[in-house]
Amino acid sequence: MNNELYKKLVDLYAGRELPSELDAEMEAAAAEDLVLGREMHTLRSAVDLLHNDAGPEYTEESYQRILMKLYARGAAIQPKAPSPLHLQYHLPIQG
Amino acid sequence: MPNDALQDSLAEKRWLTALAEGDPSALGGIYELYGERIFRYTFRMLGNRTDAEDATAETFLRVVRRSAELRADGAFRTWLFRIARNLCIDKLRQHKLMELPPDAQYSGAEERTTLRVTVHQALNDLPLEYREPLIYCDLEEMSAKEAADILKISVPALKSRLYRGRRALRDKLGSAMERTP
Repeated sequence: MNNELYKKLVDLYAGRELPSELDAEMEAAAAEDLVLGREMHTLRSAVDLLHNDAGPEYTEESYQRILMKLYARGAAIQPKAPSPLHLQYHLPIQG
Repeated sequence: MPNDALQDSLAEKRWLTALAEGDPSALGGIYELYGERIFRYTFRMLGNRTDAEDATAETFLRVVRRSAELRADGAFRTWLFRIARNLCIDKLRQHKLMELPPDAQYSGAEERTTLRVTVHQALNDLPLEYREPLIYCDLEEMSAKEAADILKISVPALKSRLYRGRRALRDKLGSAMERTP
């Protein structure tokens, strides 16, 4: 297969969408062509970074605040999990 | 269909039917199913927690208001993400006017955290046309078909934007990628 075709397959290589035989064939071509190799590997690294991203943390506080916003806007919804202690309103202790 | 996906699909059908019948507990069920995904998506679109929480709440309120349009035929998720997307785009327009800075909360080892911040900043710097396909396909791991449906474009157009977006992100990341742990 010629390098022009490999260049067209770089996007599929980066997204790990190629069958393993073709993937290996491209790796071999990359060893012969440094420009092609750099294009393949930098693009795949960028995609891998995104795939491995754990994303923003969905905290208990966010979960509760969204429920409260829904409740405040009149939605028929109630918090299902107990509020964490630090989010609960404390009444002053009467002596 | 994997077991979890099947369970979610059955639960979705049950809650959507309940919502259509006016069952007041239905919204809670739908929020339990999709709250986290919509929050993560809106956070990625908007770049800050406060706006993401507002947009998530508003998304589910619109689900109730538009429940007459609901169909429990598998298209619900696309419809839900479309609502969230429209809200995010409105908020992004407001941000552009007010120049609000994004915030982020990350946890983990310092080097990894630095890389994540770099990736998120690079992603936020991309034009929306490129950023959205990356969020749907590479971060939310949706199929190209589902992402194309949300954006109301063809699958080839989606893939073209996705591939150009990946290259633009790679170019923005530059040397940071070579330090990937």
